[in-house]
Amino acid sequence: MDVHGDLFLKHKNPERPARETMIELQQLTKRYGDKLAVDGISATIRPGVVTGFLGPNGAGKSTTMRMILGLDRPTSGAARVNGRPYIDAPAPLAEVGALLDAKAVDSSRSARNHLLALAATVGIGPRRVDDVLASVGLTEVAHQSAGSFSLGMGQRLGIAAALLADPAVLILDEPVNGLDLDGIQWIRALLTELAQQGRTVLLSSHLMSEMQLVADHLLIIGQGRILADTSMDDFIEHSSGGGVIVASPDARALAPLLAADGVTLTSTGSGRFEVRGLTADAIGELAAGHGLRLHELAPIEASLESAYLELTRDSVEYAAASQPDFTPTDELQRAAS
Amino acid sequence: MTTATATAATALESTSRRTEAATTTHRQTLGRAIRSEWIKLRTLRSTWIGMGAVILVLVGVGAIAAAVSTGSVTAPEDGGGFGGDDPLSTVLTGADFAVLLAGILGALAGAREYGSRMISATIAAVPRRWQVVVSKAVVLTGVVLPTALIGVLAAFSVGMGILSAGDGATVALTDDGVLRSVLGMAGYITAIALLGLGLGILLRSVASGIGVLIAGVMILPALAGALLPASLDSVLQLLPSSAAAAFTTVTGAGDSVLDATAGAVVLAAWVAVALGASILAITRRDV
Repeated sequence: MDVHGDLFLKHKNPERPARETMIELQQLTKRYGDKLAVDGISATIRPGVVTGFLGPNGAGKSTTMRMILGLDRPTSGAARVNGRPYIDAPAPLAEVGALLDAKAVDSSRSARNHLLALAATVGIGPRRVDDVLASVGLTEVAHQSAGSFSLGMGQRLGIAAALLADPAVLILDEPVNGLDLDGIQWIRALLTELAQQGRTVLLSSHLMSEMQLVADHLLIIGQGRILADTSMDDFIEHSSGGGVIVASPDARALAPLLAADGVTLTSTGSGRFEVRGLTADAIGELAAGHGLRLHELAPIEASLESAYLELTRDSVEYAAASQPDFTPTDELQRAAS
Repeated sequence: MTTATATAATALESTSRRTEAATTTHRQTLGRAIRSEWIKLRTLRSTWIGMGAVILVLVGVGAIAAAVSTGSVTAPEDGGGFGGDDPLSTVLTGADFAVLLAGILGALAGAREYGSRMISATIAAVPRRWQVVVSKAVVLTGVVLPTALIGVLAAFSVGMGILSAGDGATVALTDDGVLRSVLGMAGYITAIALLGLGLGILLRSVASGIGVLIAGVMILPALAGALLPASLDSVLQLLPSSAAAAFTTVTGAGDSVLDATAGAVVLAAWVAVALGASILAITRRDV
């Protein structure tokens, strides 16, 4: 039973993994006709942390995940799991557990039979299937047809399928979709624990607040290219934050004073605006120096959402070339002139 | 190969109940892929309804044809074509319907995972994709062939019973070529199911698979036979239905020039081409 002992350590001791489990993408490219869905992505998704995979719809997230699993073939480049293409894995389900599409099950087969069929490919029997069904909370409905499942139950079934063979690498595409609050808290704890056990977890989600809670690392793509590959903390820390909310009866006098290179002002209502590119301290000093009244001066706490929006806004602004940093809303423009 | 991967207690333990037992996984082999497909096929009610229907039409239609030919039941006025002119083809009259049903079941077995998109999970679990096609073919044969054998043998005994009770001519399984024809019919039904499977995977659609199969097996031979010059008859004899006629009838199918063995080889070649093409397609394209 030495083998069991070693592999047990692999999961329990992330500092010294028995085998490095990771996903490597090398210049991964997928072209559909004349559209580049994935454009030369290179990245390494490491064990022991949850890696959040972010990007707008159509950015190439699902295509990338499908290429990792060998479902779609790269036009060029390669994806490797644990050092080899997924299709060369001796026991594929034990290598990578994946949830790509919770609704992609045969609607007339029961949940249990669905899992039994998948499990059989790597010689797993009914006992493990029943255990996994219990742990995702589907025991009661195990014999119901998967077609009768709600989206949330379907997600649980998909997660059960991913966990079936206890894989060292997990790829989950929007697993939180359709889950109720209980389900969301459950999967949050599950993902964190899977990573703590030394597994590699790649997770895509549109829910930024949710992603901020579970992901340690971020891989952000847009238009098929990597926009950021960084730790969550660095990403949020190095964003300029969410700006500062300023409310002032003297907004018309204050706005022109703040307008400078690298500063963005956005009116949010009468006498209220949001400042980016200046700290609350600097704005306060400036206002005091000119004897202008401030009713509110509130830094918006930096979040994944604000940092993500900033990143994607930057890429849009980059494309639009040299737009002035000052955003001339009606009120502020009048004030400035 | 039993220690390909052994795994520790899972992440699940803390979120639900504790399971101390480790999960031991094994190398994915063709045998395990077949087992997986077998679980899939047997857990669909439509499989068993379909198989029941195959037996029912074989026995039921054969019995009616036998009864009609003895005069104990009156045929419809324009029912001249109903039943064959020899006892064997009379009792196997239901085979046409059974072939159609088997083709539909085959196309379903090949294409339904594309409809549900389950094929992604299947190929992720069995990434050596040829094994998916081979496994589906093996389990489909394993279900259809015994069903067809039971069906044709039951149709034979029931039909011959009706014929002899009605003082009609009968043949016995021990008569020259009869057993071969009866077993050959079961083989034909199975072969069409496999053709349907190949077409279903190739076209990724149940409807298209069934459509092409019906066109190729039922419509094309009749149409081509009527429209093409006689010089092309030797080509028509290579169509699946004509090839099958060479070994499913004692007298030979009218103007078929193929002998029984050649007919079987030609039909087997059709199956091999359909399955080979579907393996090629599933291997080369994105899921």
